[in-house]
Amino acid sequence: MYSKELTSKKRDEFEDILEERRLSSDLRYAMKCYTPVIYKGLSPCKPNAIKSAVLQSEQVQYVIKQLAKEMGESPDIIQEEATEILDEMGHRMQLGAVRFFAFTLSKIFKQLFQRVCVNEEGMQRLQHAIQEHPVVLLPSHRSYVDFLMLSYLLYTYDLALPVIAAGIDFLGMKIVGELLRRAGAFFMRRSFGGNRLYWAVFAEYVKTMLRSGYAPIEFFLEGTRSRTAKTLTPKFGLLSIVMEPFFKREVFDTYLVPISISYERILEESLYAYELLGVPKPKESTSGLLKARRILSDNFGTIHIYVGQPVSLRTLASGRINRCPYNLVPRHLPQKPSEDIQEFVSDVAYKMELLQIENMVLSPWVLVAAVLLQNLPAMEFELLIEKTLWLKGLTQTFGGFIEWPDNLCAKKAVLSGLTLHSNIASLVDGHVVLNDKGMEDGAVGELVFRHALAVLMCATYRNQLLNVFVRPALVAVALQMAPSFRKEEVYSCFSFLRDVFSDEFIFFPGISLKDFEEGCFLLTKCDAIQTSQQEIYPTDKGSGTVSFLSAMFRPFVEGYQLIFRYLSKEMKEAFTEKQFIPAVRNFVFQLLEKGSTQCYEALSSDMQKNALSALVQLGAVKKKKMPNGLIYNVNQEAVSKILDMFDDSADAIPEHNEFLFPEYEILIEPEEPESPADNNEDEQGAEDTSKDAKEQEKLGAAGVADETFQSLDEETLEAMAKHETEEEKIFQMFKKQVAAEPEQIIRYCRGEGGPLWVSGENRPEEKDIPNCVCGAKRKFEFQIMPQLLNHLQVDSLGESIDWGTLVVYTCANSCGGANEYLEEFIWKQDYSMGCTI
Amino acid sequence: MKWNGWGYNDSKFIFNKKGQAEFTGKRYRLGGMVLPTFKEWIEKTFGASLEHKTTSRASLNVNDVPPSIVNEEFLQDLRATKISYSQDAEDRVFRAHGHCLHEIFVLREGMFKRIPDIVVWPVCHEDVVKIVELACKHNLCIIPFGGGTSVSSALECPEEEKRMIISLDTSQMNRILWIDEKNLTACVEAGIVGQDLEKQLAESGFCTGHEPDSMEFSSLGGWVATRASGMKKNIYGNIEDLVIHIKMVTPRGIVEKNCQVPRMSTGPDIHHFIMGSEGTLGVVTEVTIKIRPVPEYQKYGSVVFPNFERGVACLREVAKQRCAPASIRLVDNAQFQFGHALKPQVASIFTSFLDGLKKFYITKFKGFDPNILCVATLLFEGDREKVLQHEKQVYDIATKFGGLAAGEDNGQRGYMLTFVIAYLRDLGLDYYVIGESFETSVPWDRVLDLCRNVKERIVRECKEKGVQFAPLSTCRVTQTYDAGACVYFYFAFNYRGISDPIHVYEQIERAAREEILANGGSLSHHHGVGKLRKRWMKESISDVGLGMLRSVKEYVDPNNIFGNKNLL
Repeated sequence: MYSKELTSKKRDEFEDILEERRLSSDLRYAMKCYTPVIYKGLSPCKPNAIKSAVLQSEQVQYVIKQLAKEMGESPDIIQEEATEILDEMGHRMQLGAVRFFAFTLSKIFKQLFQRVCVNEEGMQRLQHAIQEHPVVLLPSHRSYVDFLMLSYLLYTYDLALPVIAAGIDFLGMKIVGELLRRAGAFFMRRSFGGNRLYWAVFAEYVKTMLRSGYAPIEFFLEGTRSRTAKTLTPKFGLLSIVMEPFFKREVFDTYLVPISISYERILEESLYAYELLGVPKPKESTSGLLKARRILSDNFGTIHIYVGQPVSLRTLASGRINRCPYNLVPRHLPQKPSEDIQEFVSDVAYKMELLQIENMVLSPWVLVAAVLLQNLPAMEFELLIEKTLWLKGLTQTFGGFIEWPDNLCAKKAVLSGLTLHSNIASLVDGHVVLNDKGMEDGAVGELVFRHALAVLMCATYRNQLLNVFVRPALVAVALQMAPSFRKEEVYSCFSFLRDVFSDEFIFFPGISLKDFEEGCFLLTKCDAIQTSQQEIYPTDKGSGTVSFLSAMFRPFVEGYQLIFRYLSKEMKEAFTEKQFIPAVRNFVFQLLEKGSTQCYEALSSDMQKNALSALVQLGAVKKKKMPNGLIYNVNQEAVSKILDMFDDSADAIPEHNEFLFPEYEILIEPEEPESPADNNEDEQGAEDTSKDAKEQEKLGAAGVADETFQSLDEETLEAMAKHETEEEKIFQMFKKQVAAEPEQIIRYCRGEGGPLWVSGENRPEEKDIPNCVCGAKRKFEFQIMPQLLNHLQVDSLGESIDWGTLVVYTCANSCGGANEYLEEFIWKQDYSMGCTI
Repeated sequence: MKWNGWGYNDSKFIFNKKGQAEFTGKRYRLGGMVLPTFKEWIEKTFGASLEHKTTSRASLNVNDVPPSIVNEEFLQDLRATKISYSQDAEDRVFRAHGHCLHEIFVLREGMFKRIPDIVVWPVCHEDVVKIVELACKHNLCIIPFGGGTSVSSALECPEEEKRMIISLDTSQMNRILWIDEKNLTACVEAGIVGQDLEKQLAESGFCTGHEPDSMEFSSLGGWVATRASGMKKNIYGNIEDLVIHIKMVTPRGIVEKNCQVPRMSTGPDIHHFIMGSEGTLGVVTEVTIKIRPVPEYQKYGSVVFPNFERGVACLREVAKQRCAPASIRLVDNAQFQFGHALKPQVASIFTSFLDGLKKFYITKFKGFDPNILCVATLLFEGDREKVLQHEKQVYDIATKFGGLAAGEDNGQRGYMLTFVIAYLRDLGLDYYVIGESFETSVPWDRVLDLCRNVKERIVRECKEKGVQFAPLSTCRVTQTYDAGACVYFYFAFNYRGISDPIHVYEQIERAAREEILANGGSLSHHHGVGKLRKRWMKESISDVGLGMLRSVKEYVDPNNIFGNKNLL
């Protein structure tokens, strides 16, 4: 699957197509003689002829007849419906519109972008491919610019304009929608799962165009624009439609052409960040686009378009597809693809996406963003340059395609990145900081939101590295997670991570071991790890690399844990995705407000959805189709188990739900007299934790708040301040006593004196202690100290069971005697609040 | 007969002193004629040059021939039966092969690893019974041999066969035993060759109407053993429709039915175990076959279509209306041009003028592109009146599909070519061109896709395998049925620069067959499976199906006396 010679892979040179546009007349360019090369088997026909061919096709007629029979309606009415669908969807390619587009786009692109770079060899290969077999263009999808740009590009190179499958949202844009249609776009509804007629008409339309070689078909495997700049997991519907003519041998072959379109700066970057944070997306409308003209004054750097090697579907399928199902049923009957075929389609989809990723151009800014995000809030400029340069080397080792001119020094590269992205980060007093200070004195919630916005925008650029890094980086994370360096253990951690992140990153299905080997190979190549027969361990030299890599993916590891935790604790009832996203966002938001996590990326709805769908795939969440949409049901035990898998990770928040704690021997010793020596530092530390703990506590109590941007009110703060002073004394006492034997877990003192309280609050009065069943009073026998938590490794604040101290009261008469168990009474005192039994 | 090529010794293509192609001999209509445009066609199509010639060995080198394994006791027993036999090297080599490309190539340049050890010539059913009994007694291997025109490696001896191999040549069992005019049947010995059968029946005013392209050489028994199909099956039917009764000698004994009836319901038809058994179960000795009065009138015809798609659509319509003439074939453009190249020098300026006029009319007036158009050839048979009526019906349909009648002459030449085309391969072999034909049957809706894909696959495979010059890859639809058609492919390429042309050829042929199967075509319409296509049998008829055939073989021939290893 992956080439071992990643760095030596030869890639084509780029050519700037805007350069010529800046030198000569756009009008003349738009009016140029346009005689595109066409498919050798093409019999020319008008769009209307295609429409009627689709309508009259056996496939569509069959479905029409079926529906007529089922619904008891006349076929004519359904035929009418089909005609309407076709009109809504069909394209009407007209040269005039194409020329208009060519002219306008030239103007706009020159305004927006510095350069539009294209690999000319790729265009030549495409030219050959178009003549030979039907072609399917599969570009990456980061922006609406994608398909405008691609059509523009094909026009520039005198190639047949593609017919584009675009979301029907575009139809809202009246004028532009119509223009797009005339330029060759056809439209599909975003979801038409239930509508058989729509599906039949749509599928037949696509296939008719493909079979006739009328024009290249273009659509986006990712289905929608990736808001995170990270390749989205592929959708299979359209791909299986375009593959079907080959499966049925209606065409000899079909070329699939992966196209990587990389933006130095994405037009919609801030829009995406808002969207991810749950600020609703504006509906595509013409006025919206007009407003978008504001951005015309902005600079969006360079676009790189890499047209990949056309991949022959026939070659991919050779030896894979059992032909029988298609031989034994008439080809026009709708047929559910066999499992073999489905698996094959999925494999091809992933392969194409991996090919897209391979040729995505990474700008120096991408490296800067990756470094910066690990060094927030501010990073020294010189250090940033140094780290960026180091990361450049690493990226190249991993096969990343960096566009970094040979003569460009690192400082200039970083600076120019900062200039282009001045909306994200800036240089202040020799330090680079994120621009999240929009409202200095805003409420806490507002600050969190601002910061999240900045982080997500910055992450959009770091994300471009992730799929290049994911294999070695997950090995690095696994190394830190695994209980030992034994290969199997590291691999099992890797494999777990790969499963959990299967919707987050792009992995070719079913080759976990290969991915692991690939990751190890790359880490070995950059001297970060060494492998022996049984073991994999980081080298001294490579510890920096390993920790950089795992830090790079930490937002995902942490974010997923937060989301899983939320699901395992809070989501008791069935819910829809619409309910889930705001709820989990609130949960994370509150944690961020309290400062108990720094994982801003967990606010991203993209990550939340991916995490949910990962759980669905792992079987921990059940997805059910209901008439009103998808309903999810959490199996909390299963989610907790998955959470446990993260436990040993050094940076993870552990949670013990296991039944068995580790075994220890308890030593009982008499207590020495008080020691006067106080350890100030300890005290300080302890106080800090106690504060933390309080905040955690509050979190639990607050539960799910309704508002997204909630801030702490003054009253609460005051109350907290009061508690502190009142409690100080008692806690000091506690500290002093314990300091003599810091590891103590139990204090036994039956009858005499009393327990050592940890807090002034919530101490029981006599009436609080119920009498024994025999009627006698209960008295204090022993107390369990919070240190036990340390020994049991359940000491993570707010996450695991917790107590200040547990005080056990037993029957003063020691009733029962012999061998039977008796119920005793326990009082749990926490640092602030308590509860009983 | 040629020892290392197709057909009669006196008939072959040559280049005369002027460098023009010529067909020798007087047996065929083309005989003695000069073919002025043929050379150019060969050069253009294959990039072949007359300067680069390979020559076959002039005659068989007897020293190369593997020695005969002899079972002396059998020989003694055989002598006692007075059945004639031969252990002569040439006789044995002649019966060691069919007419697959690799077999002819071996003849020209090498030697088979295993050939029959003895050839026997039984003259009647009883002789065959004796031979089979002796073979069983001494545990020897029998390979029945009819006309030797197999194109499925069916006649090749399994290399690992250690027993003495007896080639049972049926050619001396060639009598018509009786003709029953009341029931219109004839009982014929299975060794009779097609053209002799027709000739002898014609003397009594009858014919069978079974005309496979190989009918000059192939035998009745061979037709039965391979499930043959004839050109005129639309009137007379394929072999399974023609046969009324079969007598076959197996190691278990003789298998036959008790009566000669048109149809019977007595379980699965045992004839269908025999037809297509490819010599694995026994020897067919006598066949009762349907006969018909010789037709009063025959008329050829041809139709030009603007393109292959229209042509296929027309054939489909003809089949739908069940009005197919005795034969209807549709050749694609490449084959049309090929046929054109085989046009003899015209006798008079007048014919040439007419030709030109026709060409002008078709290409200019009707707007047909000579590089796209294709031709259907037709053969009508029957009463004169009915033929003319039939003809009109077919031409009317053709017109609906843009077809244009193109004369009798073109039609007749089309059919004549099918007989001489086999000679062409020998010419090609002399000039580094190797080729072969193969066939399949396919449902109507997949005909076009299959033709296009298989041709394209051949071109692509050639390119991949390093064939320097684009191959000739052409097809024709040769039979129409209610539910589908039979498609015939010709494929040839110039192998200069390739070290192992036969291996390359076989790889490409295999790829083409894979393509056929992937396109919903069958493993074979009438050539059979032999050893060449065995690998796809399981896929074709399922595990259980194969098991059924195996169990029949096990019962009938437990010791594998008929050990040619075909089919299963």
